[in-house]
Amino acid sequence: MKALFSKKSLIVFGVYLLVAGLFPFFGSDYFLSVGIIMGLHAIVTIGLSLVMGYAGQISLGQAAFWGIGAYTTGILTTKWGMSPWFALLIAALIPAIAAFLMARAIAGLQGYYLAMATLAMGFIVQIVFGEWESVTGGMGGLVGIPALPLFDDLGVDFYYLVWGMVTLVLLFSLGIIHSRIGRAFRAIHKSEIAATSIGINVANYKLLAFVLSGLFAGISGGLYANYMGIIDPQPFGLHESIKFLTMVVVGGAASVWGALLGTILIGSIGEVMLILSEHFPMLKGDMDTIVYGAILVLCIIFMPEGLVPRLQKIMAKRQEEPLPAERKLGA
Amino acid sequence: MTDFFQFLVNGLVSGGIYAIVAIGFVTIYQVSKVINLAQGEFLMLGGLIAVTLLGTGMSYGLAFVLSVLMVTLIGMLLQRFVVRYGPMSNQISLIILTIGLSILIRGVASMFWGKDAYALAPFTSNEPITFSGISMAQQSLWVILAVLLLLFVFWFLMNKTLLGKKMYACSVNLLATRLMGINPNKMALLAFAMSAASGAIAGIAIAPLNVTSYDVGVMLGIKGFSAAILGGLQNPIGVTAAGFLIGLVEAFGAGLISSGLKDAIVFLLIIGVLMIKPTGLFGEPSVGKGGL
Repeated sequence: MKALFSKKSLIVFGVYLLVAGLFPFFGSDYFLSVGIIMGLHAIVTIGLSLVMGYAGQISLGQAAFWGIGAYTTGILTTKWGMSPWFALLIAALIPAIAAFLMARAIAGLQGYYLAMATLAMGFIVQIVFGEWESVTGGMGGLVGIPALPLFDDLGVDFYYLVWGMVTLVLLFSLGIIHSRIGRAFRAIHKSEIAATSIGINVANYKLLAFVLSGLFAGISGGLYANYMGIIDPQPFGLHESIKFLTMVVVGGAASVWGALLGTILIGSIGEVMLILSEHFPMLKGDMDTIVYGAILVLCIIFMPEGLVPRLQKIMAKRQEEPLPAERKLGA
Repeated sequence: MTDFFQFLVNGLVSGGIYAIVAIGFVTIYQVSKVINLAQGEFLMLGGLIAVTLLGTGMSYGLAFVLSVLMVTLIGMLLQRFVVRYGPMSNQISLIILTIGLSILIRGVASMFWGKDAYALAPFTSNEPITFSGISMAQQSLWVILAVLLLLFVFWFLMNKTLLGKKMYACSVNLLATRLMGINPNKMALLAFAMSAASGAIAGIAIAPLNVTSYDVGVMLGIKGFSAAILGGLQNPIGVTAAGFLIGLVEAFGAGLISSGLKDAIVFLLIIGVLMIKPTGLFGEPSVGKGGL
């Protein structure tokens, strides 16, 4: 826990609070909505970073849990007339349960096989959203999802709700990482066999990572449904899953701050591309996919650990602290 | 009964394509342990380059050969300048790398060809063949023929030539392979060339059956990946069988249950199989267990 409250991490946290807190005062309504969507994405990617960076697994279907959260809120509020707050609670739980079931079902899969299974799961969920018309409204989706009471102007209030949630999720994840559980995660990431040999129940910890990622995605999905008011199957597919993956990889999977930074970075690039395409018509089309693809490729080749861990390494070098290995020897 | 044979034919045609894509995956995987998720893009590029070359008034045969050659070159360039520098020991990073590549290729393709759909002329006439109530596009016959030919070529290369033995050696023991004077990088380059070429041929063969556009590679690649995983990534015969199985399940699922659910049925099948056999239908049992 010491590392969590070190001077450095408090400074980082202070800067984060300042930027996130002051952002609404410097932008237009449009930027506010961009900030809200970024916050919603960040909640998902922080969960995904627990799965990828800490437990060392991969999920190519994270958008499915996000979608399950959104659809839970959508169905419960529009078809069952449930209160949005209560629906949000259930929207967090159902994806967590779905993640639990999925993780149990694909127990024992590794590497490419795990990638395939999560990919398949993502597709199945999206197809069900589109085909189960009587419940999900099919391709037309659900309309008229009510906003959350107390936050129903969907402006600055909602922004603070979303980023408050991001902060909670962030602190919760940091707490986990700096606890016994986090050390177990890292041990699993390094070597599952070694982790098993020192008495870590690898299966349970992996399950926990998936369930937490499902929970976070569900919270974000539920809020997304409240914010948009309408949902359809389109944003909950492979494209979005890969976008989440890109955000985590760029920022650095083995760092919760990395997931947050990656989300903001990729989100900003998307916005910049949008603005550029207005001024340069030839950039219209899939310019942003080219940029995302290039970022992924360059990142894996030149900076496989991601932005934040790389920055940490550079900072550590500059301060000429002893290397972790030396510190261990000295102790 | 007619329906049954109709579904069977449809299933065999798409299954054959999935089998080719899956063999492309396995060829690269065996040599370099890389799963190239950009495999589907080779099919897309094959079809679209052929369309463009035909548009310049080139003869069909020449356009076919040229587009296969161009896609092969692209595949080799990808291996030589990108994949070779990937983190070979980390499967998850490799997945992300090749996903990035596929997005990149698709994006570039969308700049060249836009988001329109293109129709490629069939190899021979458009007239369907009708045989006791079952109708079949002539192109479907060509697809099946191309698939059989490619399967034979792969089988021959891998089993009857020294080159095949060298590539197989890379999958057995990399160090020993090096010591025998075989350059694994060269073999990996060759594997990429082979899967790009076979992908391009498959892409050109199926393009006339349906329209083709910049994003047809996504689903073809994923279905091929599914077949490769279902077959167990190990032997080409296993993944070929898995490819046909996926094609048939899809065709019968679409015909008998619902066309909207056909992909969901295929993916459920895959998850079901993986739950029972975590290394696919024909994969070797994994050594050393550390999963969930």
